[in-house]
Amino acid sequence: MNHKRIPRIGIGGPVGSGKTMLIEQFVPLLSQKGYKTAIISNDVVSKIDADRMRKNLASERGLLPESLVIGLATGGCPHTAVREDPSMNISVVEEIEAKHNTDLDLIIIESGGDNITTTFSPALADYFIYIIDVSSGDKYPRKRGLGIENCDLLVINKIDIAPYIGADLKVMENDAKVVRKNKPYVFVNCKTGQGIQEVAEHIIKDVLFEEPPKTVINKTA
Amino acid sequence: MSIKNLDLTIDEISMLQLGDSFFPTGMYTTSSGLEALFYNKRIKSKEQISEFISVCLKYQLGPADCIALSNSHKAAQSSDLKTIIEIDDLLFSMKLVKEIREASTRSGTQLLNCVLSFINETPTSENIYNTDSNSSKSVISSYFGAIKSKDAHGVYPIALGLASNALNITKERACMLLLYGFTVSIVGAALRLGMFPHFEGQQIIHSLKPVILEVIKTNIERAYSKMWQFSPGIDILQISHERMDSKMFIT
Repeated sequence: MNHKRIPRIGIGGPVGSGKTMLIEQFVPLLSQKGYKTAIISNDVVSKIDADRMRKNLASERGLLPESLVIGLATGGCPHTAVREDPSMNISVVEEIEAKHNTDLDLIIIESGGDNITTTFSPALADYFIYIIDVSSGDKYPRKRGLGIENCDLLVINKIDIAPYIGADLKVMENDAKVVRKNKPYVFVNCKTGQGIQEVAEHIIKDVLFEEPPKTVINKTA
Repeated sequence: MSIKNLDLTIDEISMLQLGDSFFPTGMYTTSSGLEALFYNKRIKSKEQISEFISVCLKYQLGPADCIALSNSHKAAQSSDLKTIIEIDDLLFSMKLVKEIREASTRSGTQLLNCVLSFINETPTSENIYNTDSNSSKSVISSYFGAIKSKDAHGVYPIALGLASNALNITKERACMLLLYGFTVSIVGAALRLGMFPHFEGQQIIHSLKPVILEVIKTNIERAYSKMWQFSPGIDILQISHERMDSKMFIT
């Protein structure tokens, strides 16, 4: 392989947990700092998520080219597509890398909505964010599962609705600490952007290693 | 049978490995147009699915993919990369539907990448036309390098032909892997679309075994200059799948 590997983040989580909206929130923050991203969205039965992100992030805001928001069907097997046999995702990633290895800083791979056993193949993603939401109850982190336990960053979304459904965020926080053995977690509200800055900081520190954006490096070289 | 009399080889296990649906080529994401037929309500019964697969085998995969595989397997034995690339280009040009072309090259490239990882070959894109070595492993590396440098497409049947050659799987068995793998992927897609229960899936596969054998016998010794494919109805159907808004499968 002649091209350099572009850092890749895998984002997994149950249907409706907020994977797409999380991406829509942190990509603008990375973009503000000059980082260029591409998005591969694995949908289970539609292209809705890819179409929405293309419209919101590319067409309307110009944060990335429309061609760099790519929808991928998974044959009804969302976890297989990012773990047991990530061939199609890896192919698309390599096609992006071959064209953009001098200007692209990050590739984001969104899994189709799945269950709590989702993880990403290390051959596909360098960093794994798993997102759950408060509406499923405050016992969710305690139920464990590979996604919650093993991800590099656990994101707990929809914290604004906790009082309405009787969920105790303190219980979720304590359980997340125990289950994840003090690996990081972030509480967010993807509707308002609350907590998203912290997610972006984790990505810049742990995935991009605080390197400046490639476009900046290229200009000074 | 005593252990001493066991007439089994590593090559046969390699065949099982390449033919296993667990082998990572992403084929489970494809339906070859079956999904479009299903949502258009043009296919309902198990017999119709069997007929659909049979038409694909006889008029698409047999006279095109199967011939391409057997000729590339033969060319790999003499490390004839130029011929392999010529067949690769010919087969790529015969795949009329963009989704099908892309899925085939993606599966082919990943198949090669995976096989190269366990036969201890380092892919190279240098000297792709330098085929001095007679090593079958070298020709597979060179072909992979040619794909990376855009000198070849990497369509799945050619990749399977070269991988089979590198693992000492005969071209006859490699053709069987190709056609059986296709059959299983379509039946798997039908099961995931909820078209019939699992036993019926196996009944379809069983009923198509004679078709697979006949298609191989008809095509395996043909020269690649005799390649053809003609199934306009299925081509149109596969094109219509590209335009579906909501779909589970890449093709």
